[in-house]
Amino acid sequence: MTRNLRQNILVYALLAVVLIVFMTPIYLIVSSSVKPSPIMFQKPPAFLFTPTFEHYHDLFAMRPFTKFIWNSLIVALGSTAFSLTIGSLAAYAISRIRHKRMNDVAFWILSMRMFPPIAVVVPYYIIFKSAGLLDTPLALIIVYSTANIPLTVWLMKGFFDEVPLALEEAAAVDGYGLLATFWYVTLPLAAPGLAVSAVFCFIFSWNEFLFALMLTGSEAQTATVAVMSFWSSDAVQWGRIMAGSFIILIPGVIFVLTCQRWLVRGLTMGSVK
Amino acid sequence: MSAITLKNVIKKYGAVQVVHGVDLDIDEGEFVVLLGPSGCGKTTTLRMVAGLEDVSGGELSIGGQVVNNVAPKDRGVAMVFQNYALYPHMTVKKNMEFALRPLKLDKAEVDKRINDTAAILGLGELLERRPVQLSGGQRQRVAMGRAMVRTPDVFLFDEPLSNLDAKLRTQVRWEIGKLHQRLGTTVLYVTHDQVEAMTLADKVVIMRDGYVEQVGTPEEVYTAPQSTFVATFIGSPSMNMIEAKVVAERLEANGFSMPLPDRFQGKVTEGQAVTIGVRPIEIKRVAASSTGAMQANVEVTEYLGNEALLDLRVGPHELVAEVPADQRVEPGKVIHIALNEGAIHLFDTVSGRTLSE
Amino acid sequence: MAYIRKRNKRIFLIFLLPAMLVLFLTTIYPMLYAGYLSFRSYDLAKLFVPRVFVGWSNYGEILGSSEFLHALVTTFKLMAMTLSVQLVLGVGIALIVTQKLPGMPLARTLLMIPMMISPVIVGLVWLFLYFPELGYLNYFLSFLGFDSIPWITSTDWALWAIAIADIWQWTPFVMMGTAAALQSLSPEPYEAAMIDGNSRWDVFTRVTLPQLKPVLVSLMFLRAIDAFKIYDIIFVLTKGGPGDSTEVLSMFIYRQSFTFWRMGVGAAASFVSLVIIVVLITLFFKSLNRDQVS
Ligand SMILES: Nc1ncnc2c1ncn2[C@@H]1O[C@H](COP(=O)(O)OP(=O)(O)O)[C@@H](O)[C@H]1O
Ligand SMILES: [Mg+2]
Repeated sequence: MTRNLRQNILVYALLAVVLIVFMTPIYLIVSSSVKPSPIMFQKPPAFLFTPTFEHYHDLFAMRPFTKFIWNSLIVALGSTAFSLTIGSLAAYAISRIRHKRMNDVAFWILSMRMFPPIAVVVPYYIIFKSAGLLDTPLALIIVYSTANIPLTVWLMKGFFDEVPLALEEAAAVDGYGLLATFWYVTLPLAAPGLAVSAVFCFIFSWNEFLFALMLTGSEAQTATVAVMSFWSSDAVQWGRIMAGSFIILIPGVIFVLTCQRWLVRGLTMGSVK
Repeated sequence: MSAITLKNVIKKYGAVQVVHGVDLDIDEGEFVVLLGPSGCGKTTTLRMVAGLEDVSGGELSIGGQVVNNVAPKDRGVAMVFQNYALYPHMTVKKNMEFALRPLKLDKAEVDKRINDTAAILGLGELLERRPVQLSGGQRQRVAMGRAMVRTPDVFLFDEPLSNLDAKLRTQVRWEIGKLHQRLGTTVLYVTHDQVEAMTLADKVVIMRDGYVEQVGTPEEVYTAPQSTFVATFIGSPSMNMIEAKVVAERLEANGFSMPLPDRFQGKVTEGQAVTIGVRPIEIKRVAASSTGAMQANVEVTEYLGNEALLDLRVGPHELVAEVPADQRVEPGKVIHIALNEGAIHLFDTVSGRTLSE
Repeated sequence: MAYIRKRNKRIFLIFLLPAMLVLFLTTIYPMLYAGYLSFRSYDLAKLFVPRVFVGWSNYGEILGSSEFLHALVTTFKLMAMTLSVQLVLGVGIALIVTQKLPGMPLARTLLMIPMMISPVIVGLVWLFLYFPELGYLNYFLSFLGFDSIPWITSTDWALWAIAIADIWQWTPFVMMGTAAALQSLSPEPYEAAMIDGNSRWDVFTRVTLPQLKPVLVSLMFLRAIDAFKIYDIIFVLTKGGPGDSTEVLSMFIYRQSFTFWRMGVGAAASFVSLVIIVVLITLFFKSLNRDQVS
């Protein structure tokens, strides 16, 4: 009994250390975004202070930031919709075709996600430049789909595999063709997979920085790039950076809190079930 | 209602043949049961009829039309799957509506059919529920309802009762029988349970390793099994089988001997290896002095209420006898038995075929 | 099975086609293009120099340059630093948060948040912590008796500064994968070991770890592959400096291509990193297949 109690206390003490270390940066983003600039770096840090929304005000008073958020939204939603459509069709095919090479196709698609983006930034830059697509949301939608399609394929394949074939056969006997069966039976049953894939696609696109930096200018700039621009060596506007950061991290946090049980599957691409 | 004909129907998976030329005639309105042990090709045969598996050889027709290359939806069949295959995301009512949609009926007709079917199957209360909210028996009934609303020409069932508990199984079995009487639709029904086959079927088709062993009414397959396989498969407890030889108008086995019954005269030859089949109920206790009495050691006694099963040893042979409960004896005792000569079956040991005809 | 799978083969192929086509156009084609560029002199700073075929000279240049080799070494150094710490910490934390005690599910959830944060934001908040003179990290560390550390301004520390930010963001990944694996382990070997009276350390090293190994191998491969992508955090924290102390491959490519506008050289370096990644990915899939077989 006492041994157990001592053990539990030790476990909770270690947990407390872990949580403090891992949560402090997040706490700093939130608190600094509402901290008056003069006490931003005050030591010891002020835990109790009158929160100010001046940073948020500054952020949005500057009209383009709203536009940058719009850009982020358009790009993220566009890429999500595109990747989901194309990706889930491919996933369904991979899940249903019985062929010894199908595994290779699936792995090939997955590997497309693993290449370092920097390696293709140069060609993208040149290709989009000559196509007149630099600094447009379309360029980013296309680029992000290269990461989002493989993810969707891989996730949705798992969900389609779990839809019993007998249901599709029942529909076939009842008089439905493949497309109708897919639309009315298979897809609704894989709906949780669609939701999870959508969220992953959205968050990846929303968070992305490198391509957004390279391929956009003032027109199609996204929120992550905009936040970075508040950093300049002469005057770092920490308040605005933190306010912008907080806004950017909201979707990810909501995702973790609502569907963390899918995170494992999504992030490890199925290598951990 | 449609007749179904299978002519030398074959199924191959790659190089492996699993159904070897099945011939079968199913009349309009007939209730036919495919019966056999697991893995003998019943499901495969049924799925070929449904169109869910290609026919690798032979000819399959429904309602006089060859359907080898007809899509499932155009065969006028409805199927009740082993695990019911209810659409989990639809309510009971939606499940039935979905099955009706391809028929493009008007709304009033759809509602009428659903309500009629629900009334017949007692689903009225359940129409707005989802499959997960139903018990096993209810799901089974919804699966039948979904097949029934379409008023198909043929009903296909694949082990529809295998997921139900024993009591429910009896009840649903009875309901299926009633439904068939009422609707008169042609039924092809797959099961490995002989009780289902015997109680439901107009015609039983016994399959083994992809071959049809025997086709007949339940009575025919019970009283006149064409092979040792059918003889032992049908009936519970199983028929006793004793390997013997024909010697001078007698059936001789090690430690066992009986005269050859007259009706087999001329059907066997001297020295032929034969298998004697006798149902447990046809083994009687007799006085030691009566003619043909054999001495048997009682090894195990199973009391079943009305009757009792005696596991007997006669020389090297093990036999089971079913006797009235008051005639049972303690294990270890020695009793005398005789076989009902009028009820024995005789099979050729080499081919396994009956010698009774 | 056959009906659905067979009758619709053509439709399935049609379903598969768009994804294959898009991936080809957006990934394979740019890679091939990078391959093509890597054999050209494509120097945007010298507008009037024709973009001629230069054979292997771009490759010769990077493979012979100490800068490129330095970037390669730095990439692997950073990979070694982050992977080892993430492995040990991740497994350790997983052991804590899989205890059957109140609050653990919530702790697991909270710990997953860093993974979902944009890397550029991660860079920024760690910049806030490391910031010379002002940052809170040295202030916190002073309580533990540390002297002030010049995190991002010293060549000795800058790589660690980057590693720590990456470790903060991705230790939860190892934790999460390990926790999932731990929770799926059968309790029986543990009960047996408990009855046999083995020590906890024995049980952990002889029963738990061997069972976790396949998962840990997968997780480490995924991290290693990601280590080649690390870019945003470095861009925010050090831009490759001070000096070239944090110039990893991706920074090298970036600088060659977009600071010096020598796209041919950048493409050649990209191609070399692609080759390394292909090897890693192949090994990863091999290890996955082996797990599935065993
Ligand atoms: N898709 C398939 N590929 C290869 N063999 C199969 C396939 N489906 C069934 N079989 C084989 O065909 C035989 C008959 O199977 P089935 O019709 O399901 O038997 P039953 O329904 O009588 O239990 C079995 O030996 C089974 O292993
Ligand atoms: Mg079967």
